[in-house]
Amino acid sequence: MAVKIEKTFQVNEPVEKVWVFLSDPRKVGTCVPGAQITEQVDERTYKGAIKVKVGPSVTDYKGEVQIVRLDEQAHEIEILGKGQDVKGKGSASMKMTGKLRAVDGGTEVVSVSELNVIGILAQMGSRVINEVSNIMFEQFTKNFRQQLQNAETGGSETAAAPKPISAVGVAFSALKAAVTGHSGRAEAKPGPEGAKDSGTS
Amino acid sequence: MQKTSAEIGGMGHPIKRKEDGRFIQGKGNYVDDVNLPGMVYGHMVRSPYAHARLKSINTEAAKKLPGVLAIITGEDLAKANLAWMPTLSYDKQMVLATGKVLFQAQEVAFVVAEDRYTAADAAELVEVEYEELPVLVDPHKAMDADAPLLREDRTEKNNKIFHWEVGDKAATDKAFKEAAVVSKVYALSPRCHPAPLETCGCVADFNKATEKLTVWLTSQAPHAHRTVFALVGGIPEQNIRVISPDIGGGFGNKVPVYPGYVCAVVASLTLGVPVKWIETRSENLQSTGFARDYHMTAEVAADKDGKVKAMRVKTLADHGAFNAAAQPTKFPAGLFSICTGSYEFPQAFCEVDGVYTNKAPGGIAYRCSFRVTEAAYLIERVMDVLADDLKMDPVELRQKNFIPAAKFPYQSPLGWTYDSGDYHAAMKLALDTVGYDALLKEQAEKRKKGELMGIGISSFTEIVGAGPAHSFDILGIKMFDSAEIRVHPTGKAICRMGTKSQGQGHETTYAQIVAQELGIPAKDVQVEEGDTDTAPYGLGTYASRSTPTSGAATAMAARKIREKAKKIAAFLLEASEEDLEWEPGKFSVKGAPGKSKTIQEIAFAAYTNIPPGLEAGLEAVNYYDPPNLTFPFGTYIAVVDIDKGTGEIKVRRFVAVDDCGNIINPMIVEGQIHGGLTEGFAIAFMQEITYDESGNVQGGTFMDYLVPTAVETPHWETGKTTTPSPHHPFGAKGVGESPNVGSPAAFVNAVVDALSHLGVKHIDMPITPWKVWNILKEKGLTG
Amino acid sequence: MAKKELIKIKINGKDREAMAESRLLLVHFIREALGQTGTHVGCDTSNCGACTVIVNGKTVKSCTMFAVQADGADVMTVEGLVKDGALHPLQEGFKEEHGLQCGFCTPGMLMSTYALLQKNPQPSEDEIRWGISGNLCRCTGYQNIVKAVQYASKKMAQGGVK
Repeated sequence: MAVKIEKTFQVNEPVEKVWVFLSDPRKVGTCVPGAQITEQVDERTYKGAIKVKVGPSVTDYKGEVQIVRLDEQAHEIEILGKGQDVKGKGSASMKMTGKLRAVDGGTEVVSVSELNVIGILAQMGSRVINEVSNIMFEQFTKNFRQQLQNAETGGSETAAAPKPISAVGVAFSALKAAVTGHSGRAEAKPGPEGAKDSGTS
Repeated sequence: MQKTSAEIGGMGHPIKRKEDGRFIQGKGNYVDDVNLPGMVYGHMVRSPYAHARLKSINTEAAKKLPGVLAIITGEDLAKANLAWMPTLSYDKQMVLATGKVLFQAQEVAFVVAEDRYTAADAAELVEVEYEELPVLVDPHKAMDADAPLLREDRTEKNNKIFHWEVGDKAATDKAFKEAAVVSKVYALSPRCHPAPLETCGCVADFNKATEKLTVWLTSQAPHAHRTVFALVGGIPEQNIRVISPDIGGGFGNKVPVYPGYVCAVVASLTLGVPVKWIETRSENLQSTGFARDYHMTAEVAADKDGKVKAMRVKTLADHGAFNAAAQPTKFPAGLFSICTGSYEFPQAFCEVDGVYTNKAPGGIAYRCSFRVTEAAYLIERVMDVLADDLKMDPVELRQKNFIPAAKFPYQSPLGWTYDSGDYHAAMKLALDTVGYDALLKEQAEKRKKGELMGIGISSFTEIVGAGPAHSFDILGIKMFDSAEIRVHPTGKAICRMGTKSQGQGHETTYAQIVAQELGIPAKDVQVEEGDTDTAPYGLGTYASRSTPTSGAATAMAARKIREKAKKIAAFLLEASEEDLEWEPGKFSVKGAPGKSKTIQEIAFAAYTNIPPGLEAGLEAVNYYDPPNLTFPFGTYIAVVDIDKGTGEIKVRRFVAVDDCGNIINPMIVEGQIHGGLTEGFAIAFMQEITYDESGNVQGGTFMDYLVPTAVETPHWETGKTTTPSPHHPFGAKGVGESPNVGSPAAFVNAVVDALSHLGVKHIDMPITPWKVWNILKEKGLTG
Repeated sequence: MAKKELIKIKINGKDREAMAESRLLLVHFIREALGQTGTHVGCDTSNCGACTVIVNGKTVKSCTMFAVQADGADVMTVEGLVKDGALHPLQEGFKEEHGLQCGFCTPGMLMSTYALLQKNPQPSEDEIRWGISGNLCRCTGYQNIVKAVQYASKKMAQGGVK
């Protein structure tokens, strides 16, 4: 099941700083809910894992993240992530491009992802996958901003150990959203950055 | 045929069903109701991938769970040569995967535990490693020479299963070249699933002390399944007893042998305790016998006045990962060659290619004779396209081309001898009942106002009752069927047949046949089916074959009994047999009505006062080899209104005129018609199993696979004509499936008719409001 | 094995009790622990209604309820329709009007229609169809089930049977 997700958000930091963060899978990986980068294989390849829980069903994907393209000048990164569930519940692969643009007040991050899911999750249909992805992305941007802030204040708090994103809440929100036709954005805190999410779903 | 009294309840009486008593009290005995001491439960581990190499299976964690008794993998089965099993189409199918998996939800391992929750827990703990392979879900792509090879176990290094043709290609092509008009349609019969309300399952009980295996099985063909178990499992056939108790709907879904059955049997053989396996609804929809998935192109050649000259059909049949179709051997595309339908085609040619894809295996005959729904849909659709091309009324076109009643038995250009038919009469009754002329006027007026209303006709001919031994066998077993009747001293009777009802009312209808032939009241006749230890061998119930085969056998066995009864009567009445005359229930001496013996008195005498030279008892068995198939037919008319704003389709009226020959129980026939029309309605408008490009099944639960509730289901108006079958012992033809066969075309023709003035020629099923709305948007009628 | 609780329920007028894990579905409790197999399982997504029973006067899909939730409850299943050896007018109606074929949906249908007639003794055809919209049937096309309910409604009005 192939799903395309385009998201744009803004952060209150200069482009160069955001770029350093975005172009390092080990840093950006910690922002993805339930994910961790476990090992660097070579300059462009890393081993990683992500745990997603939908209802009582936990899928534990383990796989690889590869930087396909890195353009320092244009501040563009393309990564390819592939993982298989360890129990054999399915697989997922994602091709993501991230592009930075300096704007008034900080940096605009534009991301385009193509996600392909195989297995039980995919049977539930694109409406559930879309909403689950939306909610994961909300969490990601929250973490991203938090991590950036920590970097600035030199916070020694390491990112909390990746908890599997508990999608019981996700599933219910996803279902509610699918039924009522809008995303439950209850979690988006109105912060100083002014979360401007102009993403399409 | 003499009509019996209501008290006897023979043919034609709408007597209430004898089997209802237990069902309305919740005392049915379905497979999941079977509870044996020491029984344990099985649960299947399934593949999430549509196509992948199986790298490893790790059962360590699962085995450690308290309550787990055994875990079986393909490797384990391979040691006993059981990893693969034969299908009913002479292909083979993996029981548990070895080497690779070929469809999402394919069976990979079988966990046995003390209770079903533990078994499910353990299944979650089984770790399987896969290596993904490229997925093929498009049957057209699967036919390409460079397509990924799915079946590495075959010698052929492509995905093609069979190529089948019938008819005179040269003469057909010539007729097309010379034709004034050629109409064409590409019509999809989408993959769907019968989804009977009870899923498939079994309780396998191997008794180590007696070495007897008893299997309670959701089976529409218990004897055939027993033979398959004997051949596959190497267990002597006399030591296997298959019991099909009450079955909660079959519709073809319960004809194949499923891996779960084999695993449960193996588990029971190994553990020596009863093993129950009942699949969930998701498993049922995702892995068991699907139906249709026929990609068809039909062309009709006609002269300018609409007289048809030839038909040409090319079809691609998607069978999924294994050809598990339940089909007579000589007919890999079933009876699809009935596609010339009710019309006099001088020439026709039909070819079908079967292909493998990464989808669940099959297909089965879903409430139809083999592939007949696909054929009937195709001819009725293309005739409408021809009518539209000629700007001719679809009724007029059909009437012009109907095989006239006088021409039966009729030899079709594709090899069938239709036994009897009167298509004009059925059409006329349908037209009169629906008020066709008034509807046409209404439609014309509505069109002026921009309102959308459609009238759809389907004048189908079905071919059922497989079948004569000279052409019909499944896995080599000829498709006869059987009946055994025994009359007791007190004049009651018990009979057993080789068929197996899943709701068709056999306990009543077979009793009514005996009542008709012997005059024993139907309430005094006990009917049993489904226990292979007691019932005579038969091929089961599907494809509307029970009345044509076992029904006939019942009549023939009853007539043998009547012959002996006549001898006994002659003896008791001290008359000669030639002087006796029969009316249902008694023999009388001609001219001396007072001198008579009832069948009950004769039965008593068969045990107490046996004529010299005759054996005691009053019973008979008959194995009936039908001389031909039977050809039920009818005309259905659907009237629909379409909401311009939403694309929603409302079926305003549906008139169904059916002709199934002589009717045993009109109440039961009407119930069958209602049920079949509802399934046809669902197929036309909502039922579909699709796969995305990665092989993920969409429509794998009842959330996504839509079956109609009482709210959507239209009101059905039924009527009948009666054209008996000349070769059947009591002129009956079988009817359970005609409504499912004939109705999809009526619905589709109606919707296309509602939009034809906008230039719409064809819409593929399922016709959802979304599809219609998009057409309306494209035509600028809605925003 | 998980910890089990003692569940006490009144089923069809009889007090019964049995042990159950907290995740045991009510339908399994009824069918297996209590041996009442009239209630059936037809799906795994709460769509089909074959498992419909009546708990404390309300229809419930027993596959979507845990046995522990029914602790102390008054439960009615299809086995509770017969009173003093006599069939309920609904059961008669299903037989008289040929409202069943394979019989698998029938217990659920009987429970739903029983509850419907308690609330609405003279339902219109539309109301009947809505009343059974949570019960799937693959055999009958629903038309004769509607007639069965109309039969029962008429008989109950005449005879004072509830």
